[in-house]
Amino acid sequence: MLLKNTYNELLKIATKIRSYIGIGALTLLIFIVLFAMKADGKSYVGFVTASFEQTLSFNGKILNGNLIAFIIMQMLIVHVPLLIALVTGDLLSGEEASGTVRMLATKPISRTGIVFSKWIAATVYTLIMTFWLGFLSLFVAKWMFGTGDLIVLNSNGLLILAEYDLGWRFVFSLIVAFLALWTVATLALAFSAFAKNSVGPIVSTMSVIILFTIIGTLDVSVFDTIKPFMFTTHMAAWRSIFEDPFPLREIIESVVILTVHIVALLTITIVRFNKKDITS
Amino acid sequence: MPLIEVQHLQKKFGAFQAVKDVSFHVNEGDVFGFLGPNGAGKSTTIRCLLSLIRPSGGTLNFFGKSLNENRSEVLSRVGCIIEKPDFYKYLSAQRNLEIFARISGKDIAPRQIQEMLDFVGLNGREKDKVSGFSHGMKQRLGIAQTLLHNPDIVILDEPTTGLDPQGIIEVRNLILRLRDEQKKTVLLSSHQLSEIEIIANRMVIINQGRTIVEGEVHELLEKQSLNLEVFVENPSKLEDMMQRLYPQLVTRLLYKSTYHIEMIEDVRLEMIQRMVESGCGLKSVIPKRSLEDFFIKMTEK
Repeated sequence: MLLKNTYNELLKIATKIRSYIGIGALTLLIFIVLFAMKADGKSYVGFVTASFEQTLSFNGKILNGNLIAFIIMQMLIVHVPLLIALVTGDLLSGEEASGTVRMLATKPISRTGIVFSKWIAATVYTLIMTFWLGFLSLFVAKWMFGTGDLIVLNSNGLLILAEYDLGWRFVFSLIVAFLALWTVATLALAFSAFAKNSVGPIVSTMSVIILFTIIGTLDVSVFDTIKPFMFTTHMAAWRSIFEDPFPLREIIESVVILTVHIVALLTITIVRFNKKDITS
Repeated sequence: MPLIEVQHLQKKFGAFQAVKDVSFHVNEGDVFGFLGPNGAGKSTTIRCLLSLIRPSGGTLNFFGKSLNENRSEVLSRVGCIIEKPDFYKYLSAQRNLEIFARISGKDIAPRQIQEMLDFVGLNGREKDKVSGFSHGMKQRLGIAQTLLHNPDIVILDEPTTGLDPQGIIEVRNLILRLRDEQKKTVLLSSHQLSEIEIIANRMVIINQGRTIVEGEVHELLEKQSLNLEVFVENPSKLEDMMQRLYPQLVTRLLYKSTYHIEMIEDVRLEMIQRMVESGCGLKSVIPKRSLEDFFIKMTEK
């Protein structure tokens, strides 16, 4: 029954127009960045490398597919959560708004099964979005700009990662980025269990992300104890994968905290939906 | 053994007690009328029966088993429409039925879906999106969804709400076919008392969250006094006579020259004789014993 309902949920996502808004917007944003880089990428890169040119000499192609992919991921990882919440925030609340929750909840499938199958469908959608982000930013960028070493500018200075050392880093960073987006998808689903239409869950999800991000960037000691446990602190963990030496411990910590968030939010969703009186 | 047995059902929403003490049972093959005025607790009771709402007290048994402990098994043998059937508007009628068929607990072949669409008269429209369906068509699709997994019990909550007269007749005929051709046990909640009177063999009336009366429809109606509907040529003479001779009886003007007389004592023959003698020009006398009168009497108490 769970598998059959998961198939139903995937079918519903696949046939809803809003599901393609996210994919369409993501595609458009990536192509705008690619176009901008094609048109004026050299001056963009020149601006970044200018301060190092007196001490370093750069040989080869700095503006390459790997750098573009890294820039795109950095730019879009903040916006993709909104596109994911647009779909996952509607999964339970949309059924409530359209009245179909009555039809679903009077079928032999358990309420836990309903939530679980929606969560699996949300996971698949998040996976598709992450894969699409990776595919467009990496493969299309490489196809348009060629390949080469990656220059990463971080707080410690300039880091140059060799081309041969980048493949696994991109795959691993996409996996960690997926985990962060999966947390957002589960958060939107949890809000969805409390709402009667999809506007509330989408706005609430984005509000939480914005609020937590602001708390995370505030240099105030009162928040220091909670900062390490906020999921937003770990949403950029994928970027650590492009550091040398590789910060394995920090990444494991981020993975654990994001996973705990997913499990906790899913549990809240299941408990809430099971206790809910369907009166609509 | 009753197929549905409700005992002392209660439901509280915060401080408000929507259902205080509702009990009734539905036997196999019954078309069971579930009646009550607005706010009586009908919809809450039906939602409890379908596990949409968690009861605060009482027991709900289906097929002799507790609903709470056998939810999946029970729901796989029950089909329902709660008020209006809602579907995924962006999907076709057939796709919608496929979705509900997958989680019905039974294996349903595509051929059965097509047969069900034929049964409710939606053949030829199966590929159309539900967003283009009229309310009546959605109601018929709702009945198709209800019957798709061949349930033993069909629960219909206000299935004719919002339908035009043609739609009401169509749904009523479909329910009659369920009763006569498919021998289903039907629990029917409706505001259309005439509908219950025509279709149901047993019924319960609830009011203010409590069971008022339960029994065979014809037995309950037989206990009811026989009222009269009279048509006269000279209304003032009739009103005059009724005021003089029968002031204890309630005489209501229904429409021009037609009166409804509520009988509280068996004086019918004598009264008709006096009407003839009064010169009011008696044209017709129709005995009335309706569920409507019974319902009003029961819920006014």
